Amino acid sequence: MSKRSARDTCGSRAAAWIAVVVLGGFGLLPVYWMLATAFTPAQQTFRYPPSFFPTELTLDNFARLADEPALARYLLNSLVVSVITAVLSVTVSAYMGYAFSKFRFRGRRSLMYFVLSSQMFPQALLLVTLYALFSAYHLLDTYTALVLSFTTFTLPLCVWMLKGFFDTIPDTLVEAARVDGASRLRTIHSVILPLSAPGLIAAGLFAFVRGWNDFVFALTLAGREKTTLPPGLVNAFLGEATAQWAELMAASLIASLPVVVAFIALQRFLVGGITAGAIKG
Amino acid sequence: MSTDTAHPDTTGRTPASPPAGNRPPRSLGDGAFAALLMLPALAMLAAIVVYPLVASLVTAFFEQSLVEPGRTFVGLHNITDLLGGDFWRLLRQTLVFTVGATIAPFLVGLALALALNTRIRGRATLRGLLLIPWLVPSVVVSFLWMWIFNANYGLANGALEALGLIDAPQAWLAGPGTAMTAVIVAKTWASFPWIMVMLLAGLQTVPLELHEAAETDGAGAVQRFFAVTLPHLRGIIGIVLLLELIWNFQHFDLIYVMTGGGPAGATETFATAVYETAFQGFDLGRAGALGLLWMVLLLGMVAIYVRRSEREGQL
Repeated sequence: MSKRSARDTCGSRAAAWIAVVVLGGFGLLPVYWMLATAFTPAQQTFRYPPSFFPTELTLDNFARLADEPALARYLLNSLVVSVITAVLSVTVSAYMGYAFSKFRFRGRRSLMYFVLSSQMFPQALLLVTLYALFSAYHLLDTYTALVLSFTTFTLPLCVWMLKGFFDTIPDTLVEAARVDGASRLRTIHSVILPLSAPGLIAAGLFAFVRGWNDFVFALTLAGREKTTLPPGLVNAFLGEATAQWAELMAASLIASLPVVVAFIALQRFLVGGITAGAIKG
Repeated sequence: MSTDTAHPDTTGRTPASPPAGNRPPRSLGDGAFAALLMLPALAMLAAIVVYPLVASLVTAFFEQSLVEPGRTFVGLHNITDLLGGDFWRLLRQTLVFTVGATIAPFLVGLALALALNTRIRGRATLRGLLLIPWLVPSVVVSFLWMWIFNANYGLANGALEALGLIDAPQAWLAGPGTAMTAVIVAKTWASFPWIMVMLLAGLQTVPLELHEAAETDGAGAVQRFFAVTLPHLRGIIGIVLLLELIWNFQHFDLIYVMTGGGPAGATETFATAVYETAFQGFDLGRAGALGLLWMVLLLGMVAIYVRRSEREGQL
C-alpha cells in the first residue's frame, strides 16, 4: 500500500528491516530446519554441532515411512474423520447460523453467548465424561466417537463463521424469495445456501483443519485401529528409544501438508466470497 | 461397525431431524421456526458439550474411579484436599505459561505487523510464509521444537554455542529451570502469526490523515505509534490478548508432548494435571475437583471476553 510512503522515514525503515530479519528468522528458520532435517540422511542428524546446510540430500526418510503400514492407516483415519467432521459441522451449523442471522427471537442473545463460550470449555474436562459416555455405548476407537468429539469445537466455530456470512446476505433477498411463494425452508435450500457456497466451503475447510490438527481427543478416544496422525506419530516416535528425528521431520512434513494446502484454497474463497450486489437485477 | 452411517452423503441436505415436515404451515411463528432450525445443533451441543461438562464437574464431589463402577459422595473433600496442596503450584505454573505464551507472541506479532505494514519489499510473500507456524498441527510444532531443543544434536545448542551464549550443550527440556521457557518459546512460534494477522488487519484501518496531521505537528515515528496507532488498535489488542489468555490457560498439546508436564512436574498446568489425574491416575473425583476450580477461573475470563465482544458490536 503506497499510502504509507509519506511517513516512511529512514529510522522506521531500518527498524522494520531489523524486525523482519530477526523475527521473520524466528518464524521461518524452524520451518527450514524441518525441511532440511527431513531430507538429510538419518545418520547425519546424529552429529554435534549440527550442520545448518545439509551436505547430502535424500528421500530415504520418506521411503522408510512409506514402508510403515500403520502410518498409512493413521493418514487415512485423519482424512476420513476430518472430512466427515467438516461436512457434519457445516450442515448442522448452517441452520443454526441462519437462525441467528435472520431471525429475532427470545433467548437469541443468550444462545449466541452460549455457543461462543462453548468452544472455550477445556477439552481435558470434557474428555473425562466423553470417555465414559463413548465407553458405555461401545464407541471407543470408532470414527463416530472421533467425529462427535471433534464437533465439540468445530460446531461453535462454524456457527459463528456462517452467521457472519449470512449477515452479509441482504434480507431483501430472503423477502423476495418469500414473495415469489417459496416456503421458509425452501428459501434456505434453494436461495440462501447456494449463494453461501463460499462461506460454507470456508467454514468446512476451517473445520477440516481443526479436526486434522486435533491431538487430545484422538489420543484418548481412539485405540490402535482408528487413531489419527497426531497421536499416531506421538506413539510411533516418542517411545522409550531414541527418537528418529529425520524420519519424524519427514512425517511432520506429511502431516502438515494437507492443512497448508487447505489454507491456500481457503484464502481464495475468502477473497472472492462476498455476495455484494447479488440483489441487483 | 456403525461408522458408515456417518458418511457425508447421508448427511447431505437435510438436518438429522427435519424441521416439522418440508412445508411448514405459514402459521408457524418465526420463533418456532428458528427453534426448529437450531434443534439439531442444540441437541448435539447438549449431548457432547453441556452434559459432559456438567457431569465432569459433578464428579468433584465424589470419590470415583475411571476404571471401576460406582462412586461415593465425599462433599467438598476433593476440593479442600487440592486447596491445601497442589492447587497453588498448578495455578502458579499455569499462570506462568499463560502469561508468557501470551505476551511473547503478542510482542513478536505486533513488531512484525508494524514492520509488514510498511512498503518493505516482499511483504506479501513474507506474510503468507509466516502463517505456516500457525497452520501446522500442534504435535508437529512439538516435534520440531523438541528436535531444535534436543540435548545432544539440537540446533538451539549449536547456534547458541557458536554465538558464545552458552559454554556447553544444555538439556533444555529436561532442566527444571529451562523446560517451561522452552515450551513457551515453542508456543510463541505457533501463536504469533495469528496475532500478526489480526493486528495487520487493524493497522490497515488506521486513517492516514491522523498520521499526516501528527507528522505535521512534528511527531516522530515512536510518538506517532503511541499517540495514533496504539489508541486506534486498542479494541483489537484487547480481544487478541483476551482470547490468547483463554486459549493458553487451557493449552494442553505442546506441554503434554514436549515435556509430559515434567521434569518433576515443573511444566504441569491445569490442563495436563486434569488429564493425567483422570487417565493415568484414574482418579475422577480429584480430576473433577481440579476441573471445577480451573473452570471457575476460566469462566471469569470468558465472561470478560463475551462482555467485550458485545461492546465491540460483534454480537
